[in-house]
Amino acid sequence: MIPYVTRILVKSVVTLFAIATVTFIATRLSGNPIDTFLGDGLTTEGRAELIRYFQLDGSLWQQYLAFLRGALSGEFGLSFVDRRPVTEVVGDRLWASGQLLLASVGLTVALSIPLGILAALYRRSWVGSAVMMLAFTGYAVPSFILSIVMILVFSYWLNWLPVVGNATFAHFIMPTIAMSGVLIAALTRFTRNAMLDVLGQDFIRTARAKGLREARVVLRHGLGNAGVTVISVIGLQVAGLAAAGSVVVESIFSWPGIGQLLVNAALIRDYPVLQFGVITVAVAVVIINAVTDLSYALADPRIRLARS
Amino acid sequence: MYRLMLTTALAAALPLAVAAQEITVGAANVSSYLDPGRDHSNVGSQFYYNSFDTLIDRDHSKLDPEWVPALATSWELIEPTIMELKLRQGVTFHNGDAMTADDVIFSLNRMMQATFPPYVVRAKDRLANFPMAEKIDETTIRIHANREEPLWETLISLQQVMIIPEAYTKALTGDPEVAEDSDFEAFALAPVGTGPYKVETFQPGEKLVWERFDDFWGETAPLERVNVVQIAETASRITALKTGEADIVTNIAPDQLSLIDNDPAMKTAGSATALFHVMIMNQNHPKLEDPRIRQAMSLAIDRDALNEALWLGKAVVPSTHTMAEMGALHQPDLVTFEYDPERAKTLLAEAGYDGFEIQFDTAPTYYTNGLLAAQAIMEMWANVGIKGKVNVQDQWSGNDPEMMARNWSNPMYFADPFGSFGVMWAPDGPSQSEGRFNTDAEYAEMWDRFRYSTDVEIRKAAYVELMDRVKADPAVLPLYRPFESWGMKNSINWAPMPGHIPYVLDFRAGSITLVGS
Amino acid sequence: MAILADPMTRPRRKTGRTDFIQKIAIGLAVLLVALAVFAPVILPFGPLDQSLLSRLRPPLGFERYLSGHFAGTDELGRDVLARALHGLRLTLMLAFAGALIGLVIGGTLGLIAGLRRGWVEDAIMSLVDMQIAIPFTLVALLILSLLGSSLTVLVMVLGIAGWEQYARIVRAEVRRLSALPFIEAAWTAGAGPIYAAWRHVLPNLVSPLVVQFTLALSNIVILESTLSFLGLGVQPPQPSLGSMVGLGRDYMPTAPWIVLTPAVLIVALTFSVQILGDWLRDRADVRLHDR
Repeated sequence: MIPYVTRILVKSVVTLFAIATVTFIATRLSGNPIDTFLGDGLTTEGRAELIRYFQLDGSLWQQYLAFLRGALSGEFGLSFVDRRPVTEVVGDRLWASGQLLLASVGLTVALSIPLGILAALYRRSWVGSAVMMLAFTGYAVPSFILSIVMILVFSYWLNWLPVVGNATFAHFIMPTIAMSGVLIAALTRFTRNAMLDVLGQDFIRTARAKGLREARVVLRHGLGNAGVTVISVIGLQVAGLAAAGSVVVESIFSWPGIGQLLVNAALIRDYPVLQFGVITVAVAVVIINAVTDLSYALADPRIRLARS
Repeated sequence: MYRLMLTTALAAALPLAVAAQEITVGAANVSSYLDPGRDHSNVGSQFYYNSFDTLIDRDHSKLDPEWVPALATSWELIEPTIMELKLRQGVTFHNGDAMTADDVIFSLNRMMQATFPPYVVRAKDRLANFPMAEKIDETTIRIHANREEPLWETLISLQQVMIIPEAYTKALTGDPEVAEDSDFEAFALAPVGTGPYKVETFQPGEKLVWERFDDFWGETAPLERVNVVQIAETASRITALKTGEADIVTNIAPDQLSLIDNDPAMKTAGSATALFHVMIMNQNHPKLEDPRIRQAMSLAIDRDALNEALWLGKAVVPSTHTMAEMGALHQPDLVTFEYDPERAKTLLAEAGYDGFEIQFDTAPTYYTNGLLAAQAIMEMWANVGIKGKVNVQDQWSGNDPEMMARNWSNPMYFADPFGSFGVMWAPDGPSQSEGRFNTDAEYAEMWDRFRYSTDVEIRKAAYVELMDRVKADPAVLPLYRPFESWGMKNSINWAPMPGHIPYVLDFRAGSITLVGS
Repeated sequence: MAILADPMTRPRRKTGRTDFIQKIAIGLAVLLVALAVFAPVILPFGPLDQSLLSRLRPPLGFERYLSGHFAGTDELGRDVLARALHGLRLTLMLAFAGALIGLVIGGTLGLIAGLRRGWVEDAIMSLVDMQIAIPFTLVALLILSLLGSSLTVLVMVLGIAGWEQYARIVRAEVRRLSALPFIEAAWTAGAGPIYAAWRHVLPNLVSPLVVQFTLALSNIVILESTLSFLGLGVQPPQPSLGSMVGLGRDYMPTAPWIVLTPAVLIVALTFSVQILGDWLRDRADVRLHDR
């Protein structure tokens, strides 16, 4: 158990270090980043001033060491645009992204687990086919198209739903659905397959043979056993999908979260923000992965009981 | 289900309807910082007039300048190069500090004797004639000029010399007794002025909330609260207006006006803005050094066709770099820019143009219809044999030696040709210092006569000479004055006023009223 | 877009049977490819031909329809159908090129990892882990913002989007096969690793790779159109399906056809390619091995 945990932790730390280094190198690839971001009407002396100001003087190696030192003490530089620490710029937006993520995961779990079970139980009837068709469609429709079509119908034509920001409950409806589309498709298919696997196994047949009611068999024994794998998928797949989805959905709905920030920073090349934003999301994903790995290990006796 | 959504959406709008003195503005852009001194962008100019005052103001309801007292109650020239101003007493800043003569001197000298690089740039292009301001006593200050100044009031009423508090600014970072660069950076995120609305919340690039400032020295603001929210897409802004999320929306292009005008609960107000969308050309790009190529690039563009197609004919296509706002110096009869595809072809042949590609940079959304105009221009170029290519990027390329042509705007920063052409195309001005425009001693001499002569006729004649130079060796082509519109609910009475610089959202008393409040 | 590898194998259907929806999807895929290939031949308009006087005309069947422009015209009077079909063509070319690059990179690395154990394998597999850990859309944002979005950069980005799936499949297959008696026999008979790979491993890899290639195509189409939609992919005036949707947004209330035409094509493409991939998987009766 202990070597296993250590391995997961070491792996996470190495991954994070590598990601930080890659983003650093990437942002320096195209020369001094300030040169691609000079504002309207800045002079040569102004440029020199700004290079000092953003601590972009010194050799690349010195900059890299300074970057690592800063990273360890939680300093990642200033945004080129609003000249605030990027930690603050990104930090301001964490909660909005978190809200949307929670709403989407909530909706996804609430819909796709029952749908997946339905599809597994009625896999030979039209119900199962219909659910799987829906899941296919969820994969095939990119979230930006789902968003755009919803906006066209519910906002532009019907004027029912607002399209900008996160002020009220109504603001959550379309972004949450847009974010959840792919997630629901993924999780529904997954739940169905996990259920089918479990329902085919001996102990389920035993349970049925004992005369237990079907609902009890399915929910207690089936879902109970498929549940572990389903949860690990929520952790692993959903984190990545949601991070990607939030970039698109937040920028379409002007959602004041990290995804929108990243797209804007990429478009105007505000590298410090982009760099730290990518690192933040990567940290979140790595942590979620590590936690999922660990809890999986705890749940699995073969790993838990392994000799150290 | 849809009823539920409907109700929720309505509920979202309800508080706005009840609190009648609160409005929400859906703006295409919200600034990334707020400092009237360093800013001269079209985005920033929307916001300063509500929160800051100048010493001298003008009656913005009138096209011709009519100066009115603001933070100065009276002013006179005691010598041709010295203006003495009496300061208004009992003025309070938003943070509670009383405004003193020291604050005024600090504000003026932060520009006139600038050390913070962004201030240096702004002061140089328009305040270069003013070496300093000095305090005489607690109620009197003097502003010095190097040379006799034909535009005293105009320049003292600029956004760049709006008054900010000294002690507050200096204490923002570092040593509270010293104005460091970082103080000005910090000020730009937490601005404080003397105007009728104080900035209550400012989220750069996203949101600005104004609150009525009760200790304002003038007439109390008509609104309690104004929320400005950035809504980048035009269609989203219109929807925000229709769903009640916004009460006023900015920057509506002419071909979208019908969506608002067809709705009985809404209306639009608009005008041809005192600003040119221009095409700039790099005189120093190795391939464009021959002026005939650049002349051809200009002559090939049918600006009237652009106006008809993209602005439904509502924009104004100028014959030279001039505007009606410039009063006595408005010279509409002068013809500097024309459409002549045949001549363009001839010039290209003479210059030996070999079909090399000319790249035209544009931001995707910054200028209304900017990307469309760029693509249409490529087509017009193709008609005379120029191979053009649009390059879409958000960042500014005007200082890139590789830049060949791009769009830009020449706003009227103040109502004088100096405030438009004169700033952008001055010797050592922004265009020259970015390396895409050249001047020589002869140009500088003409510019000097145009800038400083106190005789209007001499200034006009010098301007004609400058325009001849522009025609002979073009670096700029004004495309049109865009027709900008604002959409709003019927319950709001607001319209852009002719005496303002472009895009100002003036919500002061007398400028906006809400029906039923 | 993260790669949507099915976390577990689907319970297999009876192989060889092609159901109704699959038939439709395959037909649709063929039709879309044909349209993309022949677009310049069948259409009287080029994707960049402007006509400022006939802007924003609606499609066939609506008032103010301009004859010949079946899907209407856009904000510069360009033919929406011509742009959408040329966009489809570009999208397909980018997707194929991207999927191929991914196949080559991932396949090579997977092969190396499978044949050479030890630190080489560890290094390659931790690269795979890292690729899985970081949501690729973010990486794409970073790269495109830094290097500017030329078609070359875009193809490279699309190429590295899904290489790790190939690497995993190839490595797993190589390891499974090297444990089989006939391969072991070849090893002991003195066959070099390259020969063994060529002679015995590659033939066994064809079906899983074809299936993975098809599944990857639709993911790459989604990634490309998403990036172009955000303004980071294909740059105007060149049309791509994603950028048409992105740039047409401002005209959605008055001229929804500018957005809906490319949107329908994107969905038709991803939908049919996905079902095609699924169908291939069933036919090949392949189990896509995880590690």
